[in-house]
Amino acid sequence: MSDANLPEVATGPFVYDYKAAPNRQITMPKSVPLPGFRAYVAEQEALVIAEEAKWQKQLADFEVAKAKAEAEGKDVPKAPVKAAVKKNDTDMVFPAPTEAKDADLLRLVEMLGEKVEEVFEQAGELTCQVGKDHILEALQLCRKDSQLKFEMLADQTGTHYPAATGFAFSVVYHLTSISRKKRLRLRILVPEGFEPESATQVYPSANWMEREIWDMLGIRFANHPDMVRILCPEDWEGHALRKDYPVVGWGQRDIDFREDRGGMLNRIAMEKAGQLGINLKRPKAE
Amino acid sequence: MFKNEEMEINLGPQHPSTHGVLRVKLRLDGETIKHCRPMIGYLHRGVEKICENKTYFQGQVWTDRMDYCSAIANNLGWAEANEKLFGITVPRRAQYIRTMLNEFNRLASHLVWLATHALDIGAMTVFLYTFREREDILDINEAFCGSRLTTTALRIGGLREDLPPGFEKLVHKFLAKFPDCLEEYENLLSENRIWKKRTVGVAKLNAEDAIALGVTGPMLRAAGVPYDIRKAFPYAAYAEMDFEIPTRTEADTYARYLVRLAEMRQSARIIQQCMDGMPEGPVMAKIPKILKAEVNEVYHATEAPKGEIGYYLVGEKGSPNPYRFHVRAPGFINLQSLPKMVEGSLLADIVAAIGTLDIVLGEIDR
Amino acid sequence: MPTPTLTQSVLIAILQAILVVVFIFVVVPLTLFAERKVLGYLQQRLGATRIAGTLTGLSGFLNRNMWKMGKIPMLSYWRGIPMLVGDVLKMILKEDILPTKADKFVFFIAPAISFVASVVVFAAISFVPGTLFTLPNWVPLIGGLPVAGAVGDVNVGLLWILGIASVGVYGIVLAGWASNSKYPLLGGLRSGAQIVSYEVPLTLSLLAPVVMSGSLQFGELSRSMAVGLPIWGAVPQFFGFFIYLTCGFAETNRMPFDMPEAENELVAGFHTEYSGMKFGFFYLAEYINMTVVAAIASAFFLGGPWLLPFGLQGLFNHFLSPHLPALLVTFLCEPHALFFVGKIIFLLFVYIWVRGTIPRYRYDQVMAVAWKYFIPLTLVNLMLAALVRYFAV
Repeated sequence: MSDANLPEVATGPFVYDYKAAPNRQITMPKSVPLPGFRAYVAEQEALVIAEEAKWQKQLADFEVAKAKAEAEGKDVPKAPVKAAVKKNDTDMVFPAPTEAKDADLLRLVEMLGEKVEEVFEQAGELTCQVGKDHILEALQLCRKDSQLKFEMLADQTGTHYPAATGFAFSVVYHLTSISRKKRLRLRILVPEGFEPESATQVYPSANWMEREIWDMLGIRFANHPDMVRILCPEDWEGHALRKDYPVVGWGQRDIDFREDRGGMLNRIAMEKAGQLGINLKRPKAE
Repeated sequence: MFKNEEMEINLGPQHPSTHGVLRVKLRLDGETIKHCRPMIGYLHRGVEKICENKTYFQGQVWTDRMDYCSAIANNLGWAEANEKLFGITVPRRAQYIRTMLNEFNRLASHLVWLATHALDIGAMTVFLYTFREREDILDINEAFCGSRLTTTALRIGGLREDLPPGFEKLVHKFLAKFPDCLEEYENLLSENRIWKKRTVGVAKLNAEDAIALGVTGPMLRAAGVPYDIRKAFPYAAYAEMDFEIPTRTEADTYARYLVRLAEMRQSARIIQQCMDGMPEGPVMAKIPKILKAEVNEVYHATEAPKGEIGYYLVGEKGSPNPYRFHVRAPGFINLQSLPKMVEGSLLADIVAAIGTLDIVLGEIDR
Repeated sequence: MPTPTLTQSVLIAILQAILVVVFIFVVVPLTLFAERKVLGYLQQRLGATRIAGTLTGLSGFLNRNMWKMGKIPMLSYWRGIPMLVGDVLKMILKEDILPTKADKFVFFIAPAISFVASVVVFAAISFVPGTLFTLPNWVPLIGGLPVAGAVGDVNVGLLWILGIASVGVYGIVLAGWASNSKYPLLGGLRSGAQIVSYEVPLTLSLLAPVVMSGSLQFGELSRSMAVGLPIWGAVPQFFGFFIYLTCGFAETNRMPFDMPEAENELVAGFHTEYSGMKFGFFYLAEYINMTVVAAIASAFFLGGPWLLPFGLQGLFNHFLSPHLPALLVTFLCEPHALFFVGKIIFLLFVYIWVRGTIPRYRYDQVMAVAWKYFIPLTLVNLMLAALVRYFAV
């Protein structure tokens, strides 16, 4: 390789236009898939009303079409048939949320009263949504109450709901009672910037899980002993599991080896050499 | 003149006994550990984010690659979580085969654990003996689904295929020789004075601390808590199986070693029962080609070899991708207990402690 | 036999030194090779045990059909021996890395100290009492002269051995310090403490033979331990042997006492920062040290160049030699360098065997074993030896 073929030393930092890259395009979710009994019932009712309205509209359309055809002397169109309920030929049955009947949930409602926002059961799992300011109280109750005795916080995580109004995240706590062989999910809805109380005060196992939530979703927890990122480096920008974060990242650690390899590495070498006072530059060919 | 300084030392991320890329920041006074802080994330690939952008089916290959020593256990938890989300009923034969494969997987994972744990403590012969048996299990995996390590063996709703012809012979051959192999390991280690000196009373974690720190699996059972999800919340075909939960009360490294060895015996028993009582019938439920969820959220936990592996899924109405995909990795939670176990002990004990935790960094960092 | 002049003595000493070095450089690579093979068979490794086909080694080499099939040139038919050559080539050709902040002179000198200390010890080791062989007459300058079984069988031979061998630890400690890195430092510290601790029981266990034979000269010691003992002289020898061997394991940093280089704790211990031939010197020094420890054990406890261990040779000679044919008597009752080397090789095998069997001690346990068990035991053993000496000799 002659000197003429050597790559030019790149000037200035290499900037990758991440917005142009096709795999960095983000599609933001439109809906808020937050399960809940009340929402489900409302949705079902709305669905029935919509179906009814659609049927009424079909009937009305038919009447209009019929009148029009009779007036013009053409063949009368067929009368609309109400669509039969689609037969489920698969082994799938959607586990719809049901009203809370479990003793644990009732106990929680009894003890916490107004602070409980919603309780329901779905797919055999118990969910209790409490007010975002009262989570510590709820956790303490679950841990200490002689009828609940949820000894272990098995899992804690969150979900980002950018399309929601009034809140931005849900944080869920999966509690396990080893002695009673039961599970319970506690849920809070928190807006952007809100710092819920840390569960580490009740369950020490929440330590790393809350750090992960901070790292991945950007929810800070108040009174946490060690609120730093856990999986990503300290200086990482953004929170990866938010819905507005592209799958391949924002290009923090990108090196495009096809286009910039020589320039990039060359530039780093030059910088290092400059710091050490060494002249690495090749003499220019005359 | 003589200053009593503490030395800060990094165990990892490139270190022979941190089982991958774990980094532990230690402050040592001589050889005594004064402070210990595990630092993870060197293998973070964003499995959760990726799975949220794949369809429900496509997530499976990523679960394989989390805890690559127990791919089937990861698959099983994932498949069952999805089945719970969609309300799918899995045929009974598929449940039995899943149970059997899962137990084989538990054996393979425990064998790798024993191998690396013994190697960390310096017994290098056990390492090669256990890999010899693991080879047979990988052959069985290969006979079933064609691949050995990251198997992708299960499907949502059942299995891709039924057992291949001649599979029984393979299993029976393995089961016939496996108890002797276990005895061989025990002969080398169980009563070995040095092994006992290195493990008895080392890295203790009592039941109260273990539960508070969310530690599950053999670590918890060695502390005397008989919590096994296979019994507590039966899944697959475990409700029909007859097996015991081995527990110890010493809560040290040696107790965990004994618990895991006893678990291997129970696993062999379960495999035998699966083979004996294998029902006939289809292995796949009737499900559509593309799964689209309703609004629903599930948390499904299963007993992986390392502890409780839980999948938290949120379904979005009409979308083929999960809205939220979260894994409760047993290693991640168990690793939290490392400072509790080693602070105040010697540098060599942290090696035993990391070995007894049975961590796989692919799962911890996800 | 003519008395050699000074020049001739020096030339013969040089010849002996060359022979010793040749011996070392034959035994050490063979130990490396044996370590692979023996561990391979112990652990049922698939590579090490199946590296060759059915017709292997010399028999394959001599088989004409194999040549016709073109299989002989294939390296795999040599039972893994080419791996030895590869090992040496690797060490020589590898890049020699010097850490930026290392103390360059000490970093450079440390492996040399280790290596030289372990080789020089061989000067006092007597392979066979008296003459090893007589040089043929056609050799210029020194023709017809006898070559003794030791380079210098001086009358303070044991002191020389122990003194020089303990210099070897400087190599390790300095290497750990000069690397300017934390793991080597820990390894060097461990090694310093460990070797100094084990030197005490090691020396005490060697004092028992010294007390019993009343000499420090290597050849004389080995002779009197083999043929000059009363019947119950075997008892202190027997205990002394096991304690000595265990301490020898610790001195040479072998399993189960390989604290300084415990790879699962300290990455590679004191030689973490070393590469290339500098690492090679440490590697060689370890194996030479093993050979030295095995040589001393076989000389003082296993009968050295005589056939029987634990001082039983004297009894054998006394009771059985009158009843044996003359040819057998020269073979079984006389010293032979071959027996000595055979015992060294057996002990080297024991090293490998132990490595494949038991786990590693923890550092504090290693020290506890030395100070709490071995030193009292060796003291008791020394007392036994003194009693034997007092009442029986």
